[in-house]
Amino acid sequence: MVSLIAENVSLRFPIYSQAQIYEHAVGDAHDARLISGAGGRIIAVQALKEVSLSLGEGDRLALLGRNGSGKTTLLQVLTGILPPGGGRVRSLGRATSIININLGMQFEASGHRNITLRGLAAGYSRARIEEKRSEIVAFCELGEFLDMPLTTYSSGMLMRLSFSIATAFDPQILLLDEWLSTGDEAFRAKATKRMQEFVNKAGILVLASHNRQLLLDNCNKALWLEKGEVKAFGEVTELLGEYERRAA
Amino acid sequence: MTNAAAAVEFSAATQSGPRAVVADLVRGFAMGEVWRAFAWDETLARYRRSFFGLAWIAGSYVIFVAVIAIFFGSFSSADAEDFLMYVALGFAAFVYLNGNIIDGCAVFVNSATWIKSTPMPYSVYVYKSIFRSLTPFGLELLIALIGMLVLGWRPSVAALWAVPAFGAYLVFGVWSQYLLGLVAARFRDVGHLVGAVTRILFFTTPIMWTEADAQPIVRTISDFNPLTHLVEIFRAPLLNATVPVESWIFVGWFTLAGIALTLTVAGVMRARLPFWI
Repeated sequence: MVSLIAENVSLRFPIYSQAQIYEHAVGDAHDARLISGAGGRIIAVQALKEVSLSLGEGDRLALLGRNGSGKTTLLQVLTGILPPGGGRVRSLGRATSIININLGMQFEASGHRNITLRGLAAGYSRARIEEKRSEIVAFCELGEFLDMPLTTYSSGMLMRLSFSIATAFDPQILLLDEWLSTGDEAFRAKATKRMQEFVNKAGILVLASHNRQLLLDNCNKALWLEKGEVKAFGEVTELLGEYERRAA
Repeated sequence: MTNAAAAVEFSAATQSGPRAVVADLVRGFAMGEVWRAFAWDETLARYRRSFFGLAWIAGSYVIFVAVIAIFFGSFSSADAEDFLMYVALGFAAFVYLNGNIIDGCAVFVNSATWIKSTPMPYSVYVYKSIFRSLTPFGLELLIALIGMLVLGWRPSVAALWAVPAFGAYLVFGVWSQYLLGLVAARFRDVGHLVGAVTRILFFTTPIMWTEADAQPIVRTISDFNPLTHLVEIFRAPLLNATVPVESWIFVGWFTLAGIALTLTVAGVMRARLPFWI
């Protein structure tokens, strides 16, 4: 049994320092996401508001929404990184996420060393990491670069390494952000194949992206976020069509 | 897995309160492989591309102790060799404790990229920080003890009291770094304030001077300084085989108060940490 449920999740990012606001802007109507405190100063950004969703075995969810609509924040809440101010998340199953490929890596260390560190950080034993190492090495196709520090990698290479590590340990819940589009055609095809294998093993996938083909290839459901709120939830082709008509 | 495993709940409520802090500390401690690997990586990174590497720790320690012993030895009524050993042990202990306080202020801020990308217990970063600081402390202690043996010092059975003292150091590191890490992440002035205070601690802790030689007013001030007692419980059994009972009592109460404060404050603050860094 694998499940991932969010109940009325709300989240505000507090703001402690703020760029100067032009005089005339004070008192004007703000974007609904900007929360004003006493004296009109903006004290927080409402990133998510009453977001609920319920996913079970084999659900592959596409997160749709414009920049700043809360996709990444929602992923961070679902992963257990950002505690929501209101509501709760309940999850059942081993979850792995890659939300930002530039985070959670030691850039001074080699690719091999990062395989070890990420594996340990995700809670796997050294023996289990060694078991999976050859598979990760084969999948990422980075060859001798695995012995080089990560500072020598391109963003596409980093993505290959992150993705290979994240999917190697058979996660039951996989949460991926935008970044997959940095891969070249060949790797994207390979990644899609692996994600489908993964979902066939009755896992849950949540994928945030602006790439239409990537979402159609990998997802069956979709959640449309607008300014931190759920605009619609439904079948992916339908919702994607409606989303694109609205954006056009 | 036998029956249906329990779902993990994640909300502001499950991440707050003393119980969440204890759970964080216990779960983080169990991830020893992670914090040891991180600590070792950081030690390597710090001395990477440096030719002398770890020898810098030993070198700067020896020079500092020698200079203090020479300059301040003349103010002390103690025998020159005794004073040298007094400085060598006291300085190593002080630097370790002081380092924990200073590192504590940055422990979460410096790990921001990991905290924002990986759902690990926050205590992992605290254990990493403590474990990393054990390398210089161990190295300095080794040099001090070898030097003392050369000078004719021999350990006694009572010297074993340094072991529980070291245990008290580890406990101090855990609660002080967890507490300071959170507070300094939220209030960025705290790091600067602590920097200013630790400079004063260096003079108000008896390392370069002995309590026997100090003015009454100085002695009173140093008696209220927790570091005085933390240094004393470690240095006294090694140096002259005495167990400083009063200092142990002070450290006991100080530790209990520190843990209680940490559980309370961290219980309120920890659920907000990722938003502050």
